[in-house]
Amino acid sequence: MGLKRDVSLSSALGYKGQGPYLTYILHRIGGSALFIFFTVYILSLVGVDSMQALMSNWIFQIIVLVFGLFHAINGLRITILDLSPKLIEHFRTAINIEWVAYVLVAGFAVFVVLQNAMGG
Amino acid sequence: MAARTLPIKKRGFSFEVFMWAFTRFTVIAMYGLILAGIIGALIASARTGANFADILYWSFFPNLAESPLGKNFGMIILAKLMVIAFVLVVCGHGVHGVLEIWDDYVTSESGRRWARYIVISYAVAASLAAMYIIWIA
Repeated sequence: MGLKRDVSLSSALGYKGQGPYLTYILHRIGGSALFIFFTVYILSLVGVDSMQALMSNWIFQIIVLVFGLFHAINGLRITILDLSPKLIEHFRTAINIEWVAYVLVAGFAVFVVLQNAMGG
Repeated sequence: MAARTLPIKKRGFSFEVFMWAFTRFTVIAMYGLILAGIIGALIASARTGANFADILYWSFFPNLAESPLGKNFGMIILAKLMVIAFVLVVCGHGVHGVLEIWDDYVTSESGRRWARYIVISYAVAASLAAMYIIWIA
């Protein structure tokens, strides 16, 4: 595959795919974040000190939680719609419900991490 | 919009179809294990008076934390088996996810084949290392 693209970066960033496209991209970013987390987890189990320090860093925890929770909640929506095709007609409603659930869960998780980081 | 579905019989059986099914089943297993883990940790924290987060930490990092749960042999074996099962399904699920992203950016046949070799080898090696450490801890 050549490096030449038919779509420029600015056009790609300006693509108005709306809600479904946003969830698609965030799902990929979340999956990649979890892949990195999995590697860090294995290395910290093996006993690499720097990875253990990274695991207990609150900024790392927040990044993994924010993207990882989105991946988990969005994955649940995809699985439900995949296994119950009749619900696909309501996929926009499902995405809206997903965002509400995500904001509540991620908000609580970030609050707990910040509370711990500040010694609460 | 009308729902569009393709019967399973007409989908054929290729690497992609197998991985699609594998990804779906592993994610369902993951949700089940998360639910069982949360319920188990809540029961254990209620019995021991320990913090819920500490219970999860003792389970997921058995070699880094001195676990008071070790007094209960059955509980510690169950926790090890559940964490190992969780790591395995996460690994299986992740392999397909990483390959799917990779396939979108590398379209050559050899590039895709090498990506499969590398990612699957990495997943197997990481799973074996994690299983060994969790079990002997």
